[in-house]
This record gives sequence, structure tokens and C-alpha cells, in this order.
Amino acid sequence: MEKSGSIDSLGSKPSSSRQPSVDSLSSTSTSRSDRSAQAKPPSALSSDSVSTSTEFSPELRVKPKAAAKKAHRDSDKEEPQLLPNETVQDMAHDITYFCPFTGALRGTVMVTNYRLFFKSMDREPGFMLDLPLGVVSRVEKIGNASSRNDVSYGVVCKDMRNLRFAHKHLEDTLKKSVFEVLMKFAFPVSNGLQIFAFEYGQVFPENGWKVYDPISEYKRQGIPNESWRITKVNDQFELCDTYPSTLVVPVNIPDEELKRVAAFRAKGRIPVLSWIHPESQATVTRCSQPMVGVNGKRSKEDEKYLQTIMDANAQSHKLFIFDARPSVNAAANKMKGGGFESEDAYQNAELVFLDIHNIHVMRESLRKLKDVVYPNIEDSHWLSNLESTHWLEHIKLILAGALRIADKVESGKTSVVVHCSDGWDRTTQLTALSMLMLDGYYRTIRGFEVLLEKEWLSFGHRFQLRIGHGDKNHTDADRSPVFIQFIDCVWQLTRQFPAAFEFNEYFLVTILDHLYSCLFGTFLCNSEQQRLKEEIPKRTISLWSYINSQLEEFTNPMYVNYSNQVLFPVVSLRHLELWVGYYIRWNPRMKPQEPIHQRYKELLAKRAELQRRVDELQREVTNRSVSSSSERAGSPTRSITPVQTMV
Amino acid sequence: MFSAKPMKPTFRSYLPPPQTDLKSNIEPPVKLEPKFLPGEIVVNEANFVRKCISTDSSQGDLWGRLICTNFKVSFIPQDPPPKQKSQLSHLLLGQHDISLTCLEQVVTVNDTRGKRKVLGSNKKLKFNPAELILYCKDLRVIRFCFDEAGPESAKKVCLAIAHYSHPADLNLLFGFEYQGLRYHHYKGDLVNGSTPRGGIQTPIFDCPSDWDREIKRTGASEWRVCSINQKYIISESLPEYIVVPVSLTDQDVKSYSLSFNDGRVPLWCWNHRNGSALVRMAGSTEPLNQRKTEQKIFTAITKSHPQRREVTVSDLDKALPNIQDIQSAFVKARQICTLDPFEESEERWLSSIENSRWLEYVRMFLKFSAEVVYSLDGKNVSVILLEEEDRDLNCVVSSLVQLMLDPHFRSLNGFQSLVQKEWVMAGHRFLDRCNHLKKNENKESPLFTLFLDCVWQMTNQYPAAFEFTEAYLTVLSDSMWIPFFSTFLFNSSKQCSQVLQDFAKNKAIPPTEDHTVIFPPVWKWSQQFSSRDQTLFNNPMYVGKGAACVQNGEVKSFQRSKKAFSSTVRISSTSQRNGLKGEEDTLQRRGSLISGLRGDFSPVKDESPAERFFRDWFSHPADLQGVLIPLVLPSHVVLWKLFFLRWVLEACIPKGGPATVYHKVSQLVDEIDTLQSKLRQYKGASPHSTPVPSPSGPPPGQRRMYFKASSADEPPTSPNVLNSSFPFNPVGNLCRRGVQGTPISKFLNGAKTWLSTETLANDTF
Repeated sequence: MEKSGSIDSLGSKPSSSRQPSVDSLSSTSTSRSDRSAQAKPPSALSSDSVSTSTEFSPELRVKPKAAAKKAHRDSDKEEPQLLPNETVQDMAHDITYFCPFTGALRGTVMVTNYRLFFKSMDREPGFMLDLPLGVVSRVEKIGNASSRNDVSYGVVCKDMRNLRFAHKHLEDTLKKSVFEVLMKFAFPVSNGLQIFAFEYGQVFPENGWKVYDPISEYKRQGIPNESWRITKVNDQFELCDTYPSTLVVPVNIPDEELKRVAAFRAKGRIPVLSWIHPESQATVTRCSQPMVGVNGKRSKEDEKYLQTIMDANAQSHKLFIFDARPSVNAAANKMKGGGFESEDAYQNAELVFLDIHNIHVMRESLRKLKDVVYPNIEDSHWLSNLESTHWLEHIKLILAGALRIADKVESGKTSVVVHCSDGWDRTTQLTALSMLMLDGYYRTIRGFEVLLEKEWLSFGHRFQLRIGHGDKNHTDADRSPVFIQFIDCVWQLTRQFPAAFEFNEYFLVTILDHLYSCLFGTFLCNSEQQRLKEEIPKRTISLWSYINSQLEEFTNPMYVNYSNQVLFPVVSLRHLELWVGYYIRWNPRMKPQEPIHQRYKELLAKRAELQRRVDELQREVTNRSVSSSSERAGSPTRSITPVQTMV
Repeated sequence: MFSAKPMKPTFRSYLPPPQTDLKSNIEPPVKLEPKFLPGEIVVNEANFVRKCISTDSSQGDLWGRLICTNFKVSFIPQDPPPKQKSQLSHLLLGQHDISLTCLEQVVTVNDTRGKRKVLGSNKKLKFNPAELILYCKDLRVIRFCFDEAGPESAKKVCLAIAHYSHPADLNLLFGFEYQGLRYHHYKGDLVNGSTPRGGIQTPIFDCPSDWDREIKRTGASEWRVCSINQKYIISESLPEYIVVPVSLTDQDVKSYSLSFNDGRVPLWCWNHRNGSALVRMAGSTEPLNQRKTEQKIFTAITKSHPQRREVTVSDLDKALPNIQDIQSAFVKARQICTLDPFEESEERWLSSIENSRWLEYVRMFLKFSAEVVYSLDGKNVSVILLEEEDRDLNCVVSSLVQLMLDPHFRSLNGFQSLVQKEWVMAGHRFLDRCNHLKKNENKESPLFTLFLDCVWQMTNQYPAAFEFTEAYLTVLSDSMWIPFFSTFLFNSSKQCSQVLQDFAKNKAIPPTEDHTVIFPPVWKWSQQFSSRDQTLFNNPMYVGKGAACVQNGEVKSFQRSKKAFSSTVRISSTSQRNGLKGEEDTLQRRGSLISGLRGDFSPVKDESPAERFFRDWFSHPADLQGVLIPLVLPSHVVLWKLFFLRWVLEACIPKGGPATVYHKVSQLVDEIDTLQSKLRQYKGASPHSTPVPSPSGPPPGQRRMYFKASSADEPPTSPNVLNSSFPFNPVGNLCRRGVQGTPISKFLNGAKTWLSTETLANDTF
């Protein structure tokens, strides 16, 4: 326990109330990467960006001692401490940054192969902006800013903010603007450069690439068992190049038959097991749409296969197929050869459409949301503006779908098959969320990492396409905030069940920040096959290496591990909220960070200190009574039993 | 009559209702008998009445006796369902009881055509009612069906309920009967106990000493208690003792009072450590002479300011919604939250909430109050809150400002004294605004509820800054509808003392007896709840005064906070707490160094000083024992779910909600308390060296947390019983109009059009 001192002082200092301890972090300060903590003097500087978005402001997380050192360093006008293998590419003075919250600031811009760094000492306290280049969606040269001589640039970011800079027109036409250098390094893929994750050389105590091992995860679930087996048919990604090499399928279906089923499923994504109920054996399986087409094609093998999945669960004589799409979209897919299972062909199966819209609708919805929340929220019509983005409605539909799946499996003891069109966007959201509701393991930090590695990464959610790492083609129709939406749904669950998750809000925000940062290899590429080909685990660092090396920071102190608790959230707009801690965090008027957690940690420290003192006194008394046992037969020692700890 | 197969619930399309969860930790059923208080008499009753439990089906409905007394509507189920543990239980009202004062509207429904009739006092009913729907002021909607009851007795009981819920006179409220009997019954105890004021620790502000103490506490040395309004000779609505600038004589006060509505001379509320005062003032009766009088008073207030600062007048009537606006916003919010069918209102939920304007008003009051805080704290000027009558909006704003500025009011007793001072004594018309006599709906307005919502917003944003919980705030709002407390029954302290004088005479109580003893205020919580249930009021996260004292002992942390706040005029907590005055008031503004650093390019040209004040404040960690400013971004003022949704079963999160946090923190704090008492045990010889957990805490041996840490002899409460309505039970407390009956209504239910037409509107025929 890093806190010490008198009982009276513990947990009562307002000044410390928002200063989580970071002792555990001091060794990793250089690794704190894009949150730019390494360069943030806690009191000398502030900014509207990462550092003052009070919610997760690193300045509040730095030790006072380190703070003093950094403040000193800053007064020497030192630049941010660079990451291993990070190199300065260009620097320019006299740049104006138009902060949407506090007005224009003049300062210096530095561009490295990893970040854009702006610093201004215009104002007290000073101001810094530290932006990993991976966050940049596009850079635009905007004609003249305030005067003829100015050149202005807009930087549109993937994380809900836009930045605007300007500098004087350059006399020397041969010299490149710092923002042209920025454009080059912000889009390494388009410019034949390497993504920074391949260069980042930080060493962490833990290797995050070892977090997920499919065999042990399936073993945890009790697989293989009499009905399900692990197959290596996809070992070389021959069956399906977007699936992982390890798959779980019904025992009764030989590998040869799997290939015929694959022929009938879009992109060969056959139904495979994601999760099995430890008691009822009801399963969650995932796949892509059947290739029914306009003529209503059927596949005996596929029909048999689903029947086998149903039969594997003795408790129920029904199988639910959850098609994530609106029925209209599912029907429209027949024109492209796809479609959905007809209940005639699949006896004992019931098909349910979950009405979740496609990636294009979601992208548009988030774009609207950005308009509503950034940079400022309009004073009037906040809720109707929010409603008009439909963002929460989409969140609701996704959660509602996951809830129905979880309910069928838990309460109905019925196996379910989940698919959309390709089975890598909406399907992933649904299986991962329902597994989070059903299985408390996934609500731990490591369990959640496993969940992401398994359902999202190994099953081929196309992160590269959906995020567009290092790619300048910002209008690419394949980009979509599917994963952000999922994390938002997880956050909604943590709001309804504040004690059911081992991780805190900061954990979720950190994952989203590194979804874009390109500092870690975790979210690079589109599939397991590609990741192996690019040797991602060899050549990059896993995000989990960073996170698992400082778990304290990401831990929810309120966590209670109730075994076998299934979460049934209330999926209603009455309880769904906009995640202000993520979407509105750039606003300097944001809510202070998790005060309840902070307070709880203080109370824990206080209890530990009291316990220590009670123990001490008890020992004293015991010693005394031992030395003069005849004297005090009925001493208070008897009545004092240590208080049971329940953390 | 009932279909054997339970109807599919429509209110939650994804899951069956979570009743199984709610029943998991329950006590065995006990045969219920009607319970009556002293003086309570049965007026009418009907047997074989069915109380509806769920909106959509008759599953779980209870059969029993419906009783109307002169105090309450009571339902005695034949086979009571097992009672839930971990649920607040009221000492005066049973689980199925409703105080008559709590009834908002009594509606009967005709069986054949489903026509509704709103019943008032002495109304006639031409049909035999099939259903009785009771719309309650605490947002419950309770529904009884008479399908098996005798038609005549059903009609009679409905008419009795309607009649007795519309008392012709204040004296007829059951509280007068009850308190009279209680006084005589317990007289012996009261005398023997010899606790002053019936054991109530909250200052009532009906005597000069309470005001004197407040003057001293806030260091308002240039203000004095003035007794000119004794016997209410200058104003009918002001308290008998008021605080005025020392430079004004009693005669001045008396002559100036003539210029103000109802003789309400400006009333001192609170003093900032820097010398600025918060004053509330009514409008004028004679606009011609007004300026002169005002000037004289302003001069006197200026004189009472150590820096002789000019006063600032804030006109609330111009800036804030009026009482009718607030009433209509509340009615709409209630409609959306509790009456509109759940699933149908989902789609337009956000815009409906916005259209009610309730949150907008909450935000306006918070924002306005924060601006007053800026004047008092940031500009160091005295502020006069001006409202035509000084009895409504001023109550909300003056109390919010003090809550933001003074940590004392964030303690439980401090908060109660604030309500006593700025609401009860300042003459808020509780009787009219609550419309207890149901005489004039135009005067009804939920100002106090609005205030509680504003307070909740602050507790939501600063969960460790308040000693009380949201359950406390909710229970306090519910207490408005129980006619036993002097707090919410009168329009002014004058009316209170007059009515209670007559009351004492009628009940043969000695006229010298203290009002708080013969007719206690709500603050005597033991009237309503057991001491265990009262622990639900204690916020385990509270960082109290005791803690802050220690903080100042620590030089290091103190320096840090000083540095952090150097750019504001924030006063450090030392001076505030120790009652010292002055030395911290030398404001540490920004040094000139900054302007040196700032180049010719001024980055923020149009930031006002107020904006800078707020930006500064928010850029530092909040000192919970210092000034507390709420965030008033539209995204940060949110619906108070416990208050608005606690009865809505569909919105109840099983095993979740804020209660799970409360449970966890309470257990930890209970452990800490236990350890602390052990330490005291060890150090029994030197009690002065050990800290006391809470100065306002219960006597030793009584634990202050509702949830206890697990110990050998006491297993921990399972959090599985918790849900988002805790400590309230939604089951059976919100039955929207159901669809039992004709096939056509069932069909309409399928089409989801039937329910949406139901409103609280007076669709009588």
C-alpha cells in the first residue's frame, strides 16, 4: 500500500482525492505513449487535449516527485521525451493552434514518426497538445485563415476531434510546410513507410501476445467434450482465410463435410462454437449468411450441420438463428447470392431478425454525433440533437440483440446461431456482448482481453479496413466504428452493473485510444492469417503487454466477483447514456474522473492502516498479557477478532 | 375471467419481468392485519378487491380488503406475498398503504365502456366502478379492480377515498388528530427525556439564538438579529427574527418594510468568509419611493461589507421560469416517466424528456446559482436575490448558492437547517405549493422537488461531498405527502404558530409547550423510520468536516491545494472552519508574470471574468470542503432516475444500479468504523487522542452503515437482492391502465394504441 501516514490523514485529503497512486507506473513512464504523460508537467502546463480532458488526465496521475522534475524540465523548454525509436521529422515555430475551447495559441509544432506535438507558452499555465499520428484521419489545407499571409490546416481526427493550425506563408517555396511532413508520416501505408508499431521498441515485463491461447480458452469452457471437438482443418487457413486456425465444431461432422458446409456459407465462414454454457450445454455459435440466393438454394450438409448443433444440446429441441440484420437487408442480400435460412429448410430452427443496421449507417450516425458534441454542445436541444444522431438507438438495438441471445442461452437453455452478412461485424458485436453477459470470466481484465483476441481479432473483424491505419483514403466506405460501438456497449453494461467488471472506464478508453494510435500491433491487419504473415507478434508489441504491466491503473476497485452471475441489463433509453467520458472528453469542462473509485481506494488505504494499528495494539496487549497473564484474564484481547476482509 | 396462460408481457420486449430476482431474498409471509394509528378511524371498506401488480396480466395480483380511513387508503392482502428484505419500511404506513394527502387524483373506471371519472369531494358516481386508479404525488399509480367486490361497497369506498382526500380545512388533516394524541400519550417520556426540542438537532430558526449562531458561524460580524417582527407586526410571512445590517436600527427596518411586498425587508441568508453577504429581497409595493428605500438598504449592506463593495442585484423573475412553468414541466416529466407506456415511449424518449423542460429548468437554476457563487466568491460582492414575492424562486437559489459555497450545508444537519432557514422560515408556501387541500391548482408547484433535484445533480457530480444519500433526498420528498410534519403544512411561520396555538388549545396542551415537541418537523426522522432504516441516509463516501480538519494539519497537502487554487479567490478551508476571518482573504490573484509571458497575441479575447473564474475552478481538483460548482453542460444534467423511475418495474435493473456501489462502499466503511471503535477500545484510557468517526453519528454501539461488513456472527447481505430501485420496491406500485376486459381492448393492446391515449387529463364525463 503506497499510502501511509496517520490514521487521521488517510483518505481525507481533497488534494489527493484525484491523484491515483502511480508508484507502480514510475518504471513505465516512458511507455505511457500516446497519452503523452511522459511529457506532461502536471501543473505547469495544461491543454484542451488529452492532458486536461480531466477524466483521464495524466497530469492527475503523476507522482508529485516526478511532477517537480518535469516542471523543471519544461522550464528548460525541453521537448517531450521520445519513445524508443521515435525520431523527430520536422519542427516549426510560430504556429497558431486554434483551440476551440480557449482560443488561438501560438507555439511550436514538432512532427515525429509517431506523433504531432504542439506546445505554447502563450498563457499560464502553458499548453500542450500531443497527438499520435495514427489518430489523424485527414489533413486539409484550408485557404487563407485570418489574413492573406497565413496558411491554415485542418486535422480531422478519428477520435472525435478536429484541430486547426495556421502558419505564415512560407517565403521559401522549396521548404515544405511542417504539415506536409505531417501528411507524409500520418499516412505511412499510403506513403510506402512503416507503421510505427513495427519500430516501437519498448520492453514490458509481460508479453501480451501470450494472453490468448485458443486451446486453453476452449479448455476453460470444457471443450473438447462428447459433442464438440477442436479441429485443425483450418490450420493453413484453407477452409476459411478470415477464420482462426483453431475452430470448434460438432464431433459428428468430419472435416470433409465442413468443407461442403463452407461452400454454402459466405466467405466460407461456417458455424463454429464461440461459447458453451457450463451446465446446460447450450451454445453460442457464429457464422456468415447462407448462400441462398434468389432461387432459394439449399445445402443438405448445412441443414444437417445446424441440426447437429441443436442436437448437441439435450435440453432443448429448438435452435434459434439470430440474424443481426433488418429483415429487409437480409432479403436484399439474396440478390447478391446471400440471404437467410428458411424455416422450411431448417426444421426446428426459429429465425429472428435483430434489426441492426450496417456499417454505413453506423458510420453516418457517429459522424452526426461528432457534429453534436464537438467542439461544443449547444445549450439548447441537447437531447433531441442527440436523438437525431440515432447513436443510442443503435447501441440499444445491439445490446437488445445480445440480451436476447444471452436470455435464450441462459433462461431458455437453447443453443443459438448468430450471423449477419459476413459474420465479422454485427455478429462479432453480438457474440462478444452476449458472452460478456453470460460469463463472468470475460468481465475480468484478462478475460476481456481474451474475449477481444478471440471474438474480434481471431475471427477476423477487419480492423485494418474499418479503421484505415496509416491510410490516407479517409472516404473509404469500408471504414466504420463497429468496434467503438462495441466498447460503448460494454461501457453501458459497466454503468448498469458498476461492481460486475474488473476493469474501469479508463481501460476502455485506453483500448480505444490504441485502436488508432498504431503504437501497438494488436489492432493491425484484418485477420489471423494476415497477422501471422506480417509476423505481427514478432515485430510489434501487444497492447496487453502495456496494460498488463500496470493493471492497478485499469482496475475497478468496486469489482465483486460473483460466480455465475449472468447480467441482464435493462436495454432502454431510460438507462442508456451517452458516454461523455469518451465522446466529450476533449471539452475542458468535462466531468472529473471517477471520484467514486478514487474515494473507494482512499477508504481501502484507510482500512489497511487501521487494521495495521489494531494488529499492532493487539500484539502489544497479547505480549503484555503473556508477560503478566495472571493479571488480566479478561483483557480486551478476547473480544477482538480481526475484521474479515472482503475485497 | 382470466386466461389460464399468462399474457406475454409487452413492456419489456426482450425479457420476462425480473420478479424472480426481486423475490430471491424474502421473508416468510405473515398474515396481515390492518394497522391503525391512534385516532385513526375506518371510514369505509370493501372486500374481495383485487390489487393489480403488473400492467399486462393479472398474474401476481393480490386479493384483499380495501380500507379507507381518515388517514390513509389501506389494502390488506389475504395472502400477502413474501416481504422483501433490504427495503425501506415506513413506521406509519404499510407496504400497500397510501396517505390520503399523497393522493393526486382519484379515478374510477366504468366497466363496460372504460370511461373514466375523476372523483372529487362530495362528487356523485352514476356507475358502479370496475376499477379504481389512485394517482399519487410520489409518482405511484395504484390500481384496484372490483370484479368480485360488491358493487355498492366498491362505489362507497371510492367515494369515501375521494371525499377524505379533499379536506375542507387544514385542521382536518389527520396529522392534527394524531399529533395531539401522540403528545398526550408520550408526554411522560417527553418530559422525562428532557431533551430540548424533542431531541431534534437541526436548528429551527424560530428563536434569536439559532440566527446568532449562524451569524457567528459565518463570521457575519456586521449583521445582527433583529426582533422587530415579533408577533409578525411588520410582515406576515417573514420569521419573527431576521438578520439585518448592524447599521440599521429596528425603526429603520420597520419603516423600510412598508416599501416591500408583505413588509418583507431584505433578509440576510449567509455570509462569505470574504465578507460578502447573500441577501434575499421581495419586490416593491410602491415603485415611486422604492428606489430611495432600496438605496438606503443597499448602502447599509455595503457598509456591512469589509471592503464596502457595492451590492449586485439578481432579478430571478427575469432569468428563471415561473412557478406555473415549473409545475407544467413537472407534470410532463411525470407523464413521460411513469404514465406513458414504457415501450412506446422509448423511441422518442430523449426528445420527450427535453420537451418536458424539467431538466432545462434544473440546469437553469443550477447555472443561475453558480453565477451568484461567482459574484460572492469570485467578485467578492454582496448579492441580493430579487423576486417579486421572495417566497419561491428565491428559496431555490439562495439554498443552492449556500450549498455550493458552504460545506456545512452538505452535512445532514446542515442541510436540514438550510431547508429550515431558506424554505420553512423564509415563508415558502408549502401548503399552497403542495396543494394539500386540493383547493387551488394554480398555486401548486413543485419548487421543493425542483430544489431536491438540483441537489441530487450535485451529489451525482460530487458523490463524496454530501453526507446524505439520494435515498434521503427521495424520502424527504415523499415526506411532503404525509401530514404529520409541521415542515410542509404551512405557508409561513406565522400560520404555523397560529394554527399550532389553536391546536394546542383544542387538544389541551399547555400553551408554553415548544412547537417542535407538540407537532414535530420532518427532521425527527424516528417518527417515520427505524434507526436501522435511517442509516440509509448516510453516504458512506462522504468526506466530512472531521477529515478536512486533519488535512490542514498536513502542511504538505495544504501547500499544494493553496497553489492549485491560487488563481482564484477561493478561501482555504482553514479560516472557514476555524471561524477565523481575514488572513486568507487577501486574494492571491495571478501574478504579473503571466502578462509578461503573453505576447502581443492575446489568445482569449472574449473570455469574460466569470468564464475565466469557472474555467479556473474546473481546471483544478475540487476541494470537497470548499466551493463546489456543478457542471452545467446540458450533457451533465441528467434525469434523477431513483426519483422518477423507482416505481417503473420495466426500468428496474436486477442486481445492478447504483445500489451495488452503495452496498460495497458501505461494507468497507462499516469495517473502518469497526476498526476505529476497536482502536478506541484499546485506547480507552486516553479517549481524546482518538478520532470520532462522525460528529453527527449515532451513539456508540449503533452502526451507521446500512450494509454491514461480514463478520463471524453476521453473514453479509447478498447483493443479489439489490436493484436500481433500492431501497424502494417497484412491484405493484405502478400499474398503468390495464387491458383486462373486453376482447376489443385486448385487440387494441395488441395494436399498442390503447395505452398511449391514457393521460392524466381530466377526461370526465
